[in-house]
Amino acid sequence: MSAIEVQDLKKAYGATKAVDGVSFAVGQGEIFGMLGPNGAGKTTTTEILEGLRLPDSGAVWVLGMDVAREPQKIKERIGVQLQTTALYPRLTVREVLDLFAAFYRGEKHSAGELIEMLNLGEKQHTRSMDLSGGQRQRLSVALALINKPEILFLDEPTTGLDPQARRSLWAVIRAVNRGGATVFLTTHYMDEAETLCQRVAVVDRGRIIALDSPQELIRQSFQETAIEFDQKGAKAPEGTFRGLKGVTRPAVRENGHVTIYTENAALTLGGLTDLAEAGKIQFDDLHLRRATLEDVFLKLTGKRIRE
Amino acid sequence: MKTFLTLYVSNLKEFSRNRFAMFWTIAFPVFFMLLFGIIFSGESDTSYKVGVAVEDEGRIGSALTQAFEEVEILKVMEGQQDDLLAKLKHGDLNAVVVVPDGVTAAVMSGKTADIRVHYDPSIQITAQILLTIVEKVLGGVEQGLSGRTALFAIQTVTITASSLRTIDFLVPGILAMALMQLGIFATAPPLVQLREQQVLRRLGATPLTRTMLLAAQVSLRITVGLVQTALIILVGAQVFQVQIVGNLLLLAGFVVLGALSFVCLGYFMSAWGKTQEGINGASQFINFPMMFLSGLFFPVDTMPKWIRPVVDAMPLTYLADALRQIMVGATPLHPLATDLLVLVAWLVICAFLAVKFFRWE
Repeated sequence: MSAIEVQDLKKAYGATKAVDGVSFAVGQGEIFGMLGPNGAGKTTTTEILEGLRLPDSGAVWVLGMDVAREPQKIKERIGVQLQTTALYPRLTVREVLDLFAAFYRGEKHSAGELIEMLNLGEKQHTRSMDLSGGQRQRLSVALALINKPEILFLDEPTTGLDPQARRSLWAVIRAVNRGGATVFLTTHYMDEAETLCQRVAVVDRGRIIALDSPQELIRQSFQETAIEFDQKGAKAPEGTFRGLKGVTRPAVRENGHVTIYTENAALTLGGLTDLAEAGKIQFDDLHLRRATLEDVFLKLTGKRIRE
Repeated sequence: MKTFLTLYVSNLKEFSRNRFAMFWTIAFPVFFMLLFGIIFSGESDTSYKVGVAVEDEGRIGSALTQAFEEVEILKVMEGQQDDLLAKLKHGDLNAVVVVPDGVTAAVMSGKTADIRVHYDPSIQITAQILLTIVEKVLGGVEQGLSGRTALFAIQTVTITASSLRTIDFLVPGILAMALMQLGIFATAPPLVQLREQQVLRRLGATPLTRTMLLAAQVSLRITVGLVQTALIILVGAQVFQVQIVGNLLLLAGFVVLGALSFVCLGYFMSAWGKTQEGINGASQFINFPMMFLSGLFFPVDTMPKWIRPVVDAMPLTYLADALRQIMVGATPLHPLATDLLVLVAWLVICAFLAVKFFRWE
């Protein structure tokens, strides 16, 4: 049995099709990610899975139960973190945890365990309105874990966190997953999807445009290496890079920033050096990298994810 | 039950830490009562200023002046007729008594004598007191002149209006106001805040039922209503010696009914407000007309006739009337049963509107 199964889900707000025929399944014990820009329909999909919104059409089973029919039973067994992290503003961290614990019947984490797990010890007597964005985010994740959920839903869990806080939250998510919980998360961070998720659904405008493991997605789209640099001085005319040896597709230019995809980095770099020596281009901060999900997204949609 | 208790206690903490809600429900009514109480407690010192112009050489003039001075609430000023009349016109005096030349002589010889009393007709009480005193004095003087017992007995003229003091009238009105503000300021804005910040949505993602959430929120507000009642009665009794004459259980019943009606109104209002700023404005818009058109601070019959339909439409009019009857035994504006019926009707209407329009998201 899949932890989550979604069939041809549709949801429109007026003329806007927020979710436009989405189908996928999440296996038990998997960390599954939905990757896409803001407004791609990630949050709407997530909230339908959580039983917070009703779809216009389509079917959703969570833990084998129909979301439309048995929302209460499902809510008992899932953990939810919403994108807008808001709680009773004048209750302290510990008080909010105790309050939410009272909503669940089954086995639970104690407030103390969660405070420890999410490193909220110093702030346990602080009112939630006085927490920083990152602390509030951690409290919000702690609340999602309170009932030892079988599925953990996280909607952009690391948005607004500093790099260190993100890494420590990833560690928590991995630990929860190792404990047996399925994790469903949305993100617009490529690195988050790439390092955390076993499978990723790339979404844009309410549709899934690719679905696989991050490595497979990259491998399928790109055999190439990306060469990136900033152009200084006069911009090279259109088509300058097309003729370089090894180049596989038109270069991507964003202001002065150029990305060239190549199947033979050594040859292409040689060509670039020749151009520079001939005084045709000047470049700065040149580096090589392998293709990422960002490149996959760029290739599939023609735009960057964070525009 | 444990869920309910935890939720109730959490709501209580959240509420008691909310300064805006606490100000309007607890501090404001007490502050209001102290302010009004202090303003109206000076009422018994009110005196009437009377000018006396004695142009007569005889006994009557001095006897009158002396008699006036013995009346506590009169402040007597002697002077020239013209000056005094000018002062009366300016409002510096409430009345002027003129004893013309030759009055004593006229009375002695058994003729009629004129004593003129000029007064500001807007202050009837002054005129009545003065006229009574003048009559008594003249009567006494006449008796003395005619050789019989020549003493005039001046009685202190007491004004017996209602035995209810202004503060007695005000305290139940302030309680009614507090219950209204509990519904308007302490229900709608916090709800909008919870919705705006998506707390309600987050709660919706837990197994907590909406019925449970509502039950906890409403019982919290009824608790606050009863606390307000106790506090207002306490301050009224301790500071202003306001005696509660009625049945406390009946009072509690009306307090709960009133609190419920206005809390339902608050839920209904919260459906309209999208943002907190918006709902704060809307709250004031409802608060002020209710506060001043429901006879909370001055009797309904002092208001102009054309505004009476508005007054009669306000639920607060009936709540204040009922509380006033029960708490201090005031003259009913409506029978208690009518108050009860109107309040129940309002509760039913507001509850219906609240259920129909309240939005969780």
